Amino acid sequence: MEEDKIVGVIPVKDYAHWAYKETNPDEIYKKPEALDDMVVIDISYGNFAGLFCSSILAEMGAEVIRIEPPEGDIARKMTPYGIMIKDTGLAYIVEGRNKYHITLNIESEEGREIFKRLVKKADVLIETYKPGYMDSLNIGYRDLSKENPGLIYAAIYTYGQFGHECTKNANKPDYDITVQARGVIMSITGEPELDPEVPKEYKKPLKHGNWMGWYAGGAWAALGILIAMFYKRKTGKGQFIDASPPEGLMAMSNYVIQFFHETGTKMIRAGNFDYAVFPYTYVKAKDGYVFMSGFTDPNWEGVTNIMNRPDLRERFPTIKDRLTPENQPIIQHEIEKFTQNYTSDELLEMCNKYNADKTKPGTVVTGRLDSPKEVLEREHWKLRKTFVKLNDPYYGELLIQNSSFKSMSRTPGRIKWACRPVGADNNMIYLRYLGFGNKKLEELKEKGVI
Amino acid sequence: MEDIDELPYTEFIKKLMDPEKIFDKPEPLKGIRVLDMTYVVLGPAAVDYLAEFGAEVIFFEDRDGDTMRYVTPFAYLYKNMSPGLQEQNHNKYWVGMDVRHPKAKELFLELVKKSDVVVENLAPGRMAEWGLSYRELKEVNPKLIYLSLSGFGHWGPWAGRTSYDAIAQSQGGLSAITGYPERGPIKSGVWIADWIGGLMGAIAVMAALNYRERTGEGQFIDYLQTENVIRWLDWTWLYVFKTGKDRKRAGNRDLAICPSDMFTCKDGWIAIAAFKEEEFYGLCKAMGRLDLFEKYKDPVERLKEENAVRLLKEIAEWAKTKTVKEIDELGAKYGFAASPILDVQDAYYSEHYRERKAIFEYEDPLYGDMVEPCYPPRMSETPSRIKWGARPIGFDNEYVFTKVLGLTIEEVRKLEEEGVLFKWDESKPMTCPPPDWDGERGRFFP
Repeated sequence: MEEDKIVGVIPVKDYAHWAYKETNPDEIYKKPEALDDMVVIDISYGNFAGLFCSSILAEMGAEVIRIEPPEGDIARKMTPYGIMIKDTGLAYIVEGRNKYHITLNIESEEGREIFKRLVKKADVLIETYKPGYMDSLNIGYRDLSKENPGLIYAAIYTYGQFGHECTKNANKPDYDITVQARGVIMSITGEPELDPEVPKEYKKPLKHGNWMGWYAGGAWAALGILIAMFYKRKTGKGQFIDASPPEGLMAMSNYVIQFFHETGTKMIRAGNFDYAVFPYTYVKAKDGYVFMSGFTDPNWEGVTNIMNRPDLRERFPTIKDRLTPENQPIIQHEIEKFTQNYTSDELLEMCNKYNADKTKPGTVVTGRLDSPKEVLEREHWKLRKTFVKLNDPYYGELLIQNSSFKSMSRTPGRIKWACRPVGADNNMIYLRYLGFGNKKLEELKEKGVI
Repeated sequence: MEDIDELPYTEFIKKLMDPEKIFDKPEPLKGIRVLDMTYVVLGPAAVDYLAEFGAEVIFFEDRDGDTMRYVTPFAYLYKNMSPGLQEQNHNKYWVGMDVRHPKAKELFLELVKKSDVVVENLAPGRMAEWGLSYRELKEVNPKLIYLSLSGFGHWGPWAGRTSYDAIAQSQGGLSAITGYPERGPIKSGVWIADWIGGLMGAIAVMAALNYRERTGEGQFIDYLQTENVIRWLDWTWLYVFKTGKDRKRAGNRDLAICPSDMFTCKDGWIAIAAFKEEEFYGLCKAMGRLDLFEKYKDPVERLKEENAVRLLKEIAEWAKTKTVKEIDELGAKYGFAASPILDVQDAYYSEHYRERKAIFEYEDPLYGDMVEPCYPPRMSETPSRIKWGARPIGFDNEYVFTKVLGLTIEEVRKLEEEGVLFKWDESKPMTCPPPDWDGERGRFFP
């Protein structure tokens, strides 16, 4: 690879080469996996918090066995505009990575017996049913932990497994939109309440475009599982993990709870503004949108110098002046008047040129708001192997995001396969774990157990 | 255990979790020492997640202190403390020391020998300039786990570029898909790319600790916050690849689950979702519109643009005639997902979150009664907990260098006189103890 493609703007060149060598994505397959002694059973249903959680563990080498009901997980049908590739939607194909897919009907007595025998051999169980459902089938934590005291049982559910709201709402299913709704962040995301130029019908809460609630729920559960696993390695003990995805979002809602506790003030929707750091915003450019920042006094001076608007500096001289909800829309619209005359590349060049001139105060950071299509074209992501292309024997040509743990020097995360059809690994898994041959599997199939 | 076995499920779980007894349970990361060379949100959050599960964290600041001492809503300070600093710093020991000083570097290397993890989110290559990258540190401690968090990583055409949370949101594609189709892109209401980048960084450290437990080997982790945003965008990339089209903004509508959207009621907003057959049936029944169930029974057919738009319109018409509370309760009765949009006040006073200790009350020795979120998930054997919050610059110099490094208090004082170690700056209130501090309160030593 050419020198500048490895070094970028890293100040110590040989260090960048060293880092490349340590985390070269082409060498991943030669290295060990962090979690390849762990067995995980993921019996989540219709739930991408559960699926993302087990993806994280599977990317780092855990043997993940996905249990679906014989007709398949309904999560396979959660797909944009109903686009399916054979039996499966796009979202599921992304999170089927490295997992074995088996079927089992836990509503049948025989299915439950098989389930218990599998769980006895597992370190981790992930489930996303309504609270008490597994328990009512006698396969909840109190039953399973008796036979496998080292079991780490992770239950993911909007309202958690106990508490006031859990009792009241336990009949509701878990979805990303309700997770986001209960995670506080949604209440302060959306078009700015105090910008007079925003039409009233847009002044309402807004979810993140992706499944932020589900992915956060899954990641928090994975953190808990790895902490519990670390503890288990030392003590042999398992435990129960109660992962409520909205609590995961609430714990990441900036300072809003501390600030409310200290002042009694509720933060309001700021849109692209920020009441703690500004300018730190998105503005229109000639060819799309760009991020612009200039928070501290010197950096703000930089912004006004680039725009040649010293009057703005005089009008809003201190950080405090620039943080009020009333002033931010004014500053925003003044910046936009300037930026919309230039393309994002022109603005980047202007800022870089300004920042390089050490006689002038401040640093102004800008960056284009890339659309997904543009992200896919960026050379940086291509060289870092942020995406992988696979020709799957069943699902055909695919492009999916790689493991984001792929740059661990000793135990990089990786993708081995994308997804498997419903029940595709029944033969292998049931044979390896329970010694079921073809005749036994046929028999179970006829009974509707698998 | 026998006596709680007969309890109904949620009572059984509550007994098992026993949130009132958190401090009587072990800390899973006890004995893991983390040197925290981070600043702002991304890095400090990653370490904070470990600190609330019991890791011993030593947090280093230079003379100005962490940037977040100055980044606070409306420039507000609470007893000299920035709420912007409080949110991602708990249970840490606070040291004022700049490793660019040769003697400070020496002390840092001594601490590295006695530590398990180093975390930093400086511009990639900065630690290498100082001779403190993993390349050098592994020579003094081969079992060390070193996590670096950055926007674009330690090699590649964009390596070393400045990154903020909003850069990661925009260059990772999140902003482009957040907002209304006929309006512009919208930034998250919080520094979400920092928080989730830190979360995945903490997960990487935990995986590395698990591996080290098996093999004794440490490692270097290059975690890219922008790549993390890309990883979290679910079906986006496969969709673009298969269709050649960009993913559009869709407001609160979920393009892959129908119905799943936010609706306007008589008195506010409600989020509703119902994808599985029995849930969709429940919703249609609650609406008194079983005709919709018959018409849109197949969940995949329902996702097709024309069907989805029509169905969501029907639900919107119905929601307009109801209150938020009515629909919330109908959700519980008929088994579909429904929830009001909780704001900070709802969460703060929520009996549920308090009971679960998700909203955690504690008395901070410096700032008094505090109420803050405590990191999930809730765990039965080894729960997370908050012991104290953010502190002034250098507040724990004495404790760290006597207890951890074994210096005498005289030696620590000498290092402070030489300017190797330092404390808060009286001319900058945001670096100082509360105005009413008595010179003793909250100090662990001497």
